[in-house]
Amino acid sequence: MTDGATTAVAEETLKGGGTPPSRAPSKTLRSPWTAVIALAILLVALFPVLSDDLYYQNMIILAMVFAVGAVGLNIITGYAGYISLGQGAFIGLGAYTVGICVSDIGGSPWVWVPVAGVLAGLVAAALGVVAMRARGHAFVILTIAFLFLVQLLATNWDELTNGTGGITLPIPTWSVDYQYWPFYYTLMGLLAVSLVLSWWIRRNKFGMGLVAIREDEDKAATVGVSTPTYKILAFVASAVFVGMAGGVYGYYISFIDPLGMFNILLSVQIILSLLLGGRDTLWGPVLGAFIIEWLNETSNQEFQGGNARLLIFGGLLVLVVMFLPRGIIPTANRWIEWWRTRGKAGLAGERLTGIDLRARAAPAREAAEPSGPPLLEVKGLEKRFGGVRAVDGASFAVPEGSITALIGPNGSGKTTVFNLIGGTMTPQAGEVWFDGQRIDGKPPWQRAHLGLGRTFQITRLFREMTVLENVVAPLQGFHPRLLGADAVSGREARRAEDLLEFVGMRKYRDVHASALSYGQQKLVELAQILMLDPKLIMLDEPAGGINPTLIERIGEMIRELNAQGKTFLIVEHNMPFVLGMCNPVLVLARGQTIASGTADEVQRDPQVLDAYLGEDFRLEEPARA
Amino acid sequence: MTEFLQALILGLLIGGVYALLASGLTLIFGVMNVINIAHGAFLILAAFITWSLWRAIGLDPLAAIFALTPVMFAFGWLLYNATIRPIRRAPPAASVLLTFGLALFLEGIMGVIWGNTSHSVRPEYFAQSFEIGELFLPKAQVYGGLVAIVVLASLYLVLTRSWLGRAIRASAVNPQGAELVGVNAVSVAALTFAIGVASAGAGGAIASVLYPFLPGSHYQWIARLLGIIVLGGMGSLPGAVIGALCLGVAELMTVTYIGPEWATGVPYAFVFIVLLLRPQGILGTRLRQDVATA
Repeated sequence: MTDGATTAVAEETLKGGGTPPSRAPSKTLRSPWTAVIALAILLVALFPVLSDDLYYQNMIILAMVFAVGAVGLNIITGYAGYISLGQGAFIGLGAYTVGICVSDIGGSPWVWVPVAGVLAGLVAAALGVVAMRARGHAFVILTIAFLFLVQLLATNWDELTNGTGGITLPIPTWSVDYQYWPFYYTLMGLLAVSLVLSWWIRRNKFGMGLVAIREDEDKAATVGVSTPTYKILAFVASAVFVGMAGGVYGYYISFIDPLGMFNILLSVQIILSLLLGGRDTLWGPVLGAFIIEWLNETSNQEFQGGNARLLIFGGLLVLVVMFLPRGIIPTANRWIEWWRTRGKAGLAGERLTGIDLRARAAPAREAAEPSGPPLLEVKGLEKRFGGVRAVDGASFAVPEGSITALIGPNGSGKTTVFNLIGGTMTPQAGEVWFDGQRIDGKPPWQRAHLGLGRTFQITRLFREMTVLENVVAPLQGFHPRLLGADAVSGREARRAEDLLEFVGMRKYRDVHASALSYGQQKLVELAQILMLDPKLIMLDEPAGGINPTLIERIGEMIRELNAQGKTFLIVEHNMPFVLGMCNPVLVLARGQTIASGTADEVQRDPQVLDAYLGEDFRLEEPARA
Repeated sequence: MTEFLQALILGLLIGGVYALLASGLTLIFGVMNVINIAHGAFLILAAFITWSLWRAIGLDPLAAIFALTPVMFAFGWLLYNATIRPIRRAPPAASVLLTFGLALFLEGIMGVIWGNTSHSVRPEYFAQSFEIGELFLPKAQVYGGLVAIVVLASLYLVLTRSWLGRAIRASAVNPQGAELVGVNAVSVAALTFAIGVASAGAGGAIASVLYPFLPGSHYQWIARLLGIIVLGGMGSLPGAVIGALCLGVAELMTVTYIGPEWATGVPYAFVFIVLLLRPQGILGTRLRQDVATA
């Protein structure tokens, strides 16, 4: 059996399975698109030299401004999934920074372009701090409010901005022979730098954390991703180069006023570029920006702009959301993929056989006494939702090395207790102690870093990631350097493969999580939290909704991991499963622990029978164990 | 003191109009989890239609509500089925972008039909005021505020006393559960959207007398309405009313004591302050479902 497994590993390695899978979108694009991209870059780079057509030079300059904007927006919207409708404000902010600095302090506008980038970054960080506690929709609203707020400030703060009168920048001093070249090549450089940043973020841990946030933010936090830090950094990264491009744009336009610079249509153009080209791709935003700028110019030329521009942009936005939600590049890639793989069968489900777990496990440790010191201790925990007391003074301890069960009737507060221990919710009262530390004030990712891993009642994998990426996503700590580490390093990939082998899901490593069956997702989720190397593993209904064979397998795995020293806390309704394996068993009813002890003791406890059967359950005096 | 009292009363009256408009927005959000960015554009559209009716046949803007509400209801129902319904299973971000696109498109259409100049509806009572002691209360504001409160009250009656209202509230709390007990969530969503747009129609007719407007005014309106529902707690109807009254008073106080040019900034300030101090808003509560999808 051991040999068989090793051979399988070797075979996989020969087939190229040992290398990390494709992780950056650019990688999947590389093959069909490389030549096209290289040609396009060459064409854009040489255009001003080959042609002196100022109409097109102007168009490319504007397209590049919006491309920088869209590449930036892609970081916060494409990767992290947060929509910003106010991204155009960073263009205006950059332009105003350069305009104000030149007119109040002096010097060449070029000098102030980096300052514009820094300022945009700082403003984004401040906005990120405000938005940190809010989720999804609130962020959209905040970005709209931000855009209009800076426009209002630019209009009313006369001393600084000259109000609606605007700021006129000096006319460039270089020879007319050079046309717009300095603008052109500066923007091209900025676009290149922002593309490098975007590519770098997407291929390392930072980008992976952002995608995890996009897929499921709470889940990301429980596997150790410190979500606020990630979100704020992503927003800063999405703004810095846009601010710089805005500075160049302001100098290029040479006139800066609140209506032009903080026009919501700038944001619209950036958003459309990203959506049309393709979110979460490297080149999509650039492609989109060139198409949209061409449309913009056309509408100005053919229909005198104004309302025509609104109709075209508004209509296009509606159409793209409805009929091309993924954007051009991902859709094209899908077609290519479909063309290549047509006629081939997919990976079929496999019968689970009893793998000899000991073969893959570390040397088994002597199972600790179930009555050992508590690894987790909960004291007087309370959580109310409006008037409902979901958890009402629950207290219990999970001995180190034990497989502890938490059972109770539906609605008794088990999952809420899990959420309170894991940190997805904060209790109104009570304490949670883990491994000698009080953790009830800590955010979920810090609890994960301390060695607390949990699964969810309904599996929550990152659906757009592959199985392997899902397993590698958990982080055991936070360090700035970690952000720059490879998303999937070779060492991690090997460890993840071992864990997938352990749960019997190794064959599926490159399959998208969304393609897995429910039972398979449960197994992957288990492997995922094992990646954290947790001291305590909390499983919320591991046997719920899966077939009996798989239940048995999961039971074997739990025992095996327990033998290796992992402590378990399990919420489960399948009584034979729980009672056959767990000691102690804790019983929760109406948010309180009413009994604890061995399976036999608990089964005989009259209060437990009352709680489950509810025949003469007295509301007046809640009984405590 | 008179100045303060005047600002307070006018603020509450205008807050009543805001409450009507914000109720539609928060209702749509509560039932469908859609932030309808086009809500401002709907109300400006209603204002333009009111203007045309007033210009063409001299119809009083407040009487125009009777004509506008059914028309906007039908418009909302059609728009929901044509655009939002097909994407209702897409991530929530899709609906934000879609309604944003609709807002821009409507702005363009209004610009083509009515032009991008400032319009206002001025019935004969426009320049008149009630004088109570030292207070000057413009008739337009008083009538507008009172009519808004009446419309809002009837909306509440529909929501609390009718089967449709119960279905709407059931869908807001738990769409799957509502389906299980025989509520067709999709048609409820369509009706909710239609009611939301109809209330924007009624509110737009009133707003046409209170403020001058042009197609681009919808941005300012949507910012104002978003500020209100963020303050009140997103999805909460009583919250929207409280938020609207607060905003109305805060705007009038800003006009009186700081300067009219800063009044438009009040809703943005609301958004920032609320998100910093109490992200769930005044009446928003975090429920079990907010955190764990279990």
